[in-house]
Amino acid sequence: MAQEILRLSAEQLYKNEIDALIANETAPIPKGWQMSPKSVLTYILGGKVGDTVITPKYMGDKRVVEICIATLVTDRALLLIGEPGTAKSWLSEHLTAAINGNSSQVIQGTAGTTEEQIRYSWNYAMLLAKGPSFESLVKSPIYNAMETGTIARFEEISRCASEVQDALISILSEKRISIPELSEEVAAKKGFSIIATANTRDKGVNEMSSALKRRFNIVILPPPSDMDTEINIVKTRVAQLSKDMELNAEMPTDSDFEKVVTVFRELRDGQTLDGQLKVKPTSGVLSSAEAISLMVNSMALAGSFGSGKVTDSELAAALQGAVVKDDSKDKAAWEEYLENIMRKKGKDYASLYAECKERNA
Amino acid sequence: MAEYYGVRHLSPSCSLYVHEFLDKADPDIVLIEGPSDLSGLIDGLMDSRVRFPAAILAYTTEAPVRTVMYPLAYFSPELNAMQWAAYHNKPVEFCDLPSGCLLAEEYENDDIPDGESVYSKLEKLTGMDNETFWESRFEHSDNYNDFIAAVEEYGKSIREFSVSDERNELREAYMRRRIAESEKKYGKAAVITGAFHTSGIKNVPYTDADKKLMDDLKIAPSKATLMPYSYYRLSSRSGYGAGSKAPGYFEMLYRNKCRGVSDRTPAEYLSRLAGYQREHGYSSSSAEVIEALRLAETLAVMRGGRLPSLADLRDAAVTCLGHGSFGEISLACASVEIGSRIGELPEGTVCTSVQEDFMHQLKELKLDRFRTAAVQELALDLRENLRVKSEKSAFLDLNRSFFMHRLIQAGVKFGEQIRVSQDNATWSEKWNVSWSPETEIQIVEASLKGDTVEEAARASLDMKLLGSTSISDTANTLYTALLCGLPDCIKTAASTVQKMAVDCASPMEEGKTIGILSATVRFGSIRKLDPEPLTDIISQLFLKFCLQAYSACICDENAAEEMITAITAVYDACLAHDFLDSERLKKVLSELSDSDVVNPLISGFACALLAEKGEISNEKMSELVSRRLSRGTPPAEAAAWFEGLARRNRRSLIIRLTLWEKLCTFIDGLDDEEFKPVLIALRRTFAEFTPAEKNDIAENIGEVLGISAEQAAEIITAEVTAEEQQTIDELDDFDFGDI
Repeated sequence: MAQEILRLSAEQLYKNEIDALIANETAPIPKGWQMSPKSVLTYILGGKVGDTVITPKYMGDKRVVEICIATLVTDRALLLIGEPGTAKSWLSEHLTAAINGNSSQVIQGTAGTTEEQIRYSWNYAMLLAKGPSFESLVKSPIYNAMETGTIARFEEISRCASEVQDALISILSEKRISIPELSEEVAAKKGFSIIATANTRDKGVNEMSSALKRRFNIVILPPPSDMDTEINIVKTRVAQLSKDMELNAEMPTDSDFEKVVTVFRELRDGQTLDGQLKVKPTSGVLSSAEAISLMVNSMALAGSFGSGKVTDSELAAALQGAVVKDDSKDKAAWEEYLENIMRKKGKDYASLYAECKERNA
Repeated sequence: MAEYYGVRHLSPSCSLYVHEFLDKADPDIVLIEGPSDLSGLIDGLMDSRVRFPAAILAYTTEAPVRTVMYPLAYFSPELNAMQWAAYHNKPVEFCDLPSGCLLAEEYENDDIPDGESVYSKLEKLTGMDNETFWESRFEHSDNYNDFIAAVEEYGKSIREFSVSDERNELREAYMRRRIAESEKKYGKAAVITGAFHTSGIKNVPYTDADKKLMDDLKIAPSKATLMPYSYYRLSSRSGYGAGSKAPGYFEMLYRNKCRGVSDRTPAEYLSRLAGYQREHGYSSSSAEVIEALRLAETLAVMRGGRLPSLADLRDAAVTCLGHGSFGEISLACASVEIGSRIGELPEGTVCTSVQEDFMHQLKELKLDRFRTAAVQELALDLRENLRVKSEKSAFLDLNRSFFMHRLIQAGVKFGEQIRVSQDNATWSEKWNVSWSPETEIQIVEASLKGDTVEEAARASLDMKLLGSTSISDTANTLYTALLCGLPDCIKTAASTVQKMAVDCASPMEEGKTIGILSATVRFGSIRKLDPEPLTDIISQLFLKFCLQAYSACICDENAAEEMITAITAVYDACLAHDFLDSERLKKVLSELSDSDVVNPLISGFACALLAEKGEISNEKMSELVSRRLSRGTPPAEAAAWFEGLARRNRRSLIIRLTLWEKLCTFIDGLDDEEFKPVLIALRRTFAEFTPAEKNDIAENIGEVLGISAEQAAEIITAEVTAEEQQTIDELDDFDFGDI
């Protein structure tokens, strides 16, 4: 089924899985949820329900996901923290898709986010015509979530100014929004909660106040713990994306994945996989998400301009782009890595090394 | 017919229910998994003064020492079974292979066969890690019958998953035999073993095949003792039955279980974490604890448990109290989960002779109060205390010092000596003393060396003497013997030194040895040393040194450094002891100072020593300086000489204005290529001067150049011009290859 939409939401994409989980539900369901916490866990980590195979959405520590779900059961808000590309938004989208069947109540935190976007604002035409009334109110996603007893998402909360973030304090502790203009108060229904995400690289930009932090259960999402998990993640996502985007290229080989993930892990950790050699890290973010986009990128290159098969030449071009961000320093570090590490990795890496070297020259 | 109770070692639930089991079984004898020859130690454990954790330690009496350890905590089912037996006046014995057999070399590396894979198989099956599975399935059970059935099932399944090897067959055959024998002797037996073994011994008769296995038991000679244990050690041992990752937590579980309030454990655990955090300056509110508890309970329900397990609690604590990161609460977790409990045994329960000797000495020397985990400082005044009557108390501190040094030699880390300042170094010693279970183990290990602390120390010093190859090593051992107060050991060492001195051909070694022996004599009087034999050796070595020094000083730079150390030692010894011929040394130094053949560094140093003693006149000095710093001398040598000169007695150099004049002329006369190597030597020389000294030198030079202090300061603090910077940068290219 070719579809027009560039990117389907999680609940649309995995509708049959969610339906199967709901149909086969046996455990008690918390108020405001559409399935039990156990089913949410199955949805995220994968498994089998009846005849339906549930694909794993998050590959990593099961306990982390358990803590996330348990947090939402206790009506606490959840704050996901991690390096860029550690699947924070991904996890929050799928959690809301599974719990509410609606992952669209999102506030994207930016430096320009205002308090109105968190609480409510006014439709000024209506306000002038009818005066302050519920009709002239423009509700924020959080307002909506409170009314319906569902979960709202707050992306990149630490990009907002601190005073804007603090608008959440009363919402999270009293679970109500007051509208002084109408002398009214809206109380949240059971099931309301917030999943916020924050980037560790933004630490110190807009530090969250401790009053606000205290109202969140904080879960730190780790980068994939081992090589195999990471290769698995990258491979699965690349397969999904290439299907969605209809890229005219073959899937890269296992050894391609291995090479890219190896380079990423070594540069990220600052040491070789065997821990024997120190590696000078580069400034760019080398997350699994970046590796995924790199692979998709080289597939697009191969499909549009190449033979339709990803070769070392495409990989080298994509690696160059991903690794060398801040030109002068990264270039030197990349060169160092190529000469000291990759060159010595033997014949499997020989042609990739040659390609990379040529591009970095 | 015997009844069987399978346990997991260090399990609170097993401990609690073992009483019920024994009440129901009403046996005539209780048999427990443990070395059968050590049943005699059980009485010692039942002493009311014992504080747990404690362990039974069996060790081979021959080196290399191998040990087996049976740690027991309050929540050990084995201990509870013993207590039940003691209370009901029933005999209780161990039924496993004798300790000597467990220690025999052939059986090293014994653990449950395939230990790891059993648990990983179980983990796959249950989807939980082994600890969590056990806790949620067994520790939280509150019904005796369910519990017994579940444990039996558990034992069977871990048995199914693992391969029973020869060693295990042997152990179980032995247990079967012991059970059969005991039943014959006493009547009904109750058998407490690991759940793994239960199905191997339950209702399996003792056969002739078993008997055959018994015939070729290999037994290593061994001894056993009780020893105090610590929760820390308990947590650091891994493997089935040997340890517990969170003894502090399990004790909490056990206590609450005994009181019938096991559901209070989660709250207690979290509150204690918060308490620790607050005590150590972190904020940790009650709200956070409440949230953590709620989260833990939800997690437990999600994972199918009735109560939160330690893993749930830990996760919840990390999320709520640690704000997502374990690092924030790791210390609190260690403190609460592991705890700092240390066991204690009444005197006399510990039974190696060294232990007894140690205890005896502690009492004798009034050091009892140092038997705590906290580090305490022990300050000793080695001089005779004239205000007391008995000789014993007059030299109390001296004897303490001997004792502490002997312990170090015996390999017992009870005290650690701290350096004291110079002015009272001869008669004062300071020690940091602390007691840990490790100390006890080390004492037990020391019993391999001798039967008392003194003997153990002597034995290890004798070993050292035999092993030492150089004369200075031997002299060091001699000095150690002095510190330990072992006169006969000093005698042996002295004669060894003497013999070695004859063959010694290296003045550096001789100098070093003289230094050590001189210290021995100087610090010896307070330790009641008879200096006579040592002074002879020192004189002998001194003479040898003086004869060999000159030729040894014709050497390269590395050797020169060593020679300087040796000369210093001899020079100091000469100042300290009248019996040494100082005229002879002076002659040697003058020779060195005058010679153009020996290493210039040593020449300069010898000159400095003479100047220090006032043995060199001003005229002579300026003559030397002009000659050494003249154009005829290669610049590198001149600089080295000056470096040697500046090693000692800098003040007297600074006030000699002529010296600085000469130095200025010398530097002025150098061309660029010559200047660079000289610069390095000079920089090295002046690096050791203090800022105040440097100031004085700058002033001196200012005076030589005819510049006032202010002008000099202006020049020195002025900004570096680009041209100067370039010159400095050029120095970076200098080739250090020859220097």
